[in-house]
Amino acid sequence: MWHTLTLYRRLMSVQMRSQMQYRTAFVLETLSTAVIVAVEFGSVALVLNRFGGIQGWTLAEVAFLYGMSETAFGFMDMIFAGFDPPVFGQHVRRGTFDQLLLRPINITTQVMGSEFTLRRLGKIALGLAIFAFAVQANQIIWTPLKLAYLPVVMFSLFLFFGGLFIIGATITFWTVDSIEVMNILTYGSSFTIDCPMTIYPDWIRRFFTFVVPVIFLSYYPSLYFLDRPELAEAPSFAPFLSPVVGVGLLLLALRFWHFGIRRYQSTGT
Amino acid sequence: MRLFWEFTVRSFQRHLTYRAAAVAGLVTNFFFGILRVSVLLAILGEQESIEGYGRAELFTYMALTQAIITYLSLFGWYDLMNAVHSGEIATDLLKPMGFVSFWLARDVGRAAVALLLRGVVIMALYSLFFDMVHPTSVAQVTAVAVSLILALLISFGFRFLLNLSAFWSPNARGIGRFGFTISWFFSGFLMPLAFFPAWVQQIAHLTPFPYALNVIVEIYTGQLTGPALWQTLCIQLLWVLLLFTLAHVTLRTAVKRLVILGG
Repeated sequence: MWHTLTLYRRLMSVQMRSQMQYRTAFVLETLSTAVIVAVEFGSVALVLNRFGGIQGWTLAEVAFLYGMSETAFGFMDMIFAGFDPPVFGQHVRRGTFDQLLLRPINITTQVMGSEFTLRRLGKIALGLAIFAFAVQANQIIWTPLKLAYLPVVMFSLFLFFGGLFIIGATITFWTVDSIEVMNILTYGSSFTIDCPMTIYPDWIRRFFTFVVPVIFLSYYPSLYFLDRPELAEAPSFAPFLSPVVGVGLLLLALRFWHFGIRRYQSTGT
Repeated sequence: MRLFWEFTVRSFQRHLTYRAAAVAGLVTNFFFGILRVSVLLAILGEQESIEGYGRAELFTYMALTQAIITYLSLFGWYDLMNAVHSGEIATDLLKPMGFVSFWLARDVGRAAVALLLRGVVIMALYSLFFDMVHPTSVAQVTAVAVSLILALLISFGFRFLLNLSAFWSPNARGIGRFGFTISWFFSGFLMPLAFFPAWVQQIAHLTPFPYALNVIVEIYTGQLTGPALWQTLCIQLLWVLLLFTLAHVTLRTAVKRLVILGG
């Protein structure tokens, strides 16, 4: 375990140093990840501000959902970047994944350490700024339980997204061409939870409740933090399932990953 | 001209080969379209329409913008940039054809596949499931077609210029991402421009971006007619001329800076 951690730290520091080599390029790329969030949230904010919210949710309340999702996804996208399905798929296609398999070191650690996209700090910073605005603008009634639970929800959401990336990466063992469909799970969940779940058609809400249960990591906990009236209709345990669902999905993803590796046959290139 | 046609056809065939990816792309496209339109419908709420957009217009907006993503390479296009960085550009410059026309030919081939394989299919698919607004006269269909072609040329001009930054920076990806992101906002891809406050709309119309996307929706849904339609098509044409002139001028300066290592 100790050995694995040291190794991961090494791999990470190599990644960071190489990305910092071209200072201007690095700054620009970091800025560009921030600009994407700024522009996307900006367009939602401008419109919601003009029309006074969306289905009874104020801009500040939507910002709470938005900031949470962007921050957690940003951290995940930085740390789990090695599993990013299109990137990892290229390693499988080119055969560079086989090189990793040949080394007598834990394969998961190697893939984790193969990519660490520092430029996502831009996205993370913007996500945190939106979240800070939301916390301040919503005048949340803080209780000790809420204060303790908030980081748990954030971390669970982070693990959940990480699990989705690992599942996507594993699927590339079988198909690389159709990997775009994975975007429905990863970017789709992140996009969906930016807004209150009540705006979507029933089948989409069911999909994100029973198939990809991201609803338990953002929408339900947010009802609890913001004391929204919808909370009364939801099952009383729904806001508190975050850690179970987050950790559960990651563990499931890891099992699938190991299953995939055992079945993996190289392309031979 | 014959050469232009040959390059277009080759590029068309090359892009036609990835069929499994095309199906995957369709499914994804459809799903994201529904997510995006849900947000717009929720904003509309109980109202009949906002700024000329009722339910049918919103579905049409969503379908058109989703159908056009690959046609205009909205999510990014870095081919020219990569050619500069890899040095491939040296052989491209030697080809017995104008450099801009060479890349335009390839892009037209790519765009034609995108329009047929994705654009038309996506529009047909969405029309099956949702009540949409379609052009009602031959004149309107023609206007949409002309506007689509001009939009591709505007988009190409912008992408070409953005890619030329590779001549100045060894890692121009950041600049590229930056540019594409700005274009989503001002083109009306993230939200119909009419939904933004007036001052944002005014700023947007000083840029070429609305003329590559938002106007297509407005022509298709019949919001732009008569003199306003003619005026829009003229502005589109002006932007094409301006961007292509800029592309030629910038290219000349860029090539002077270029040093390729042999080997």
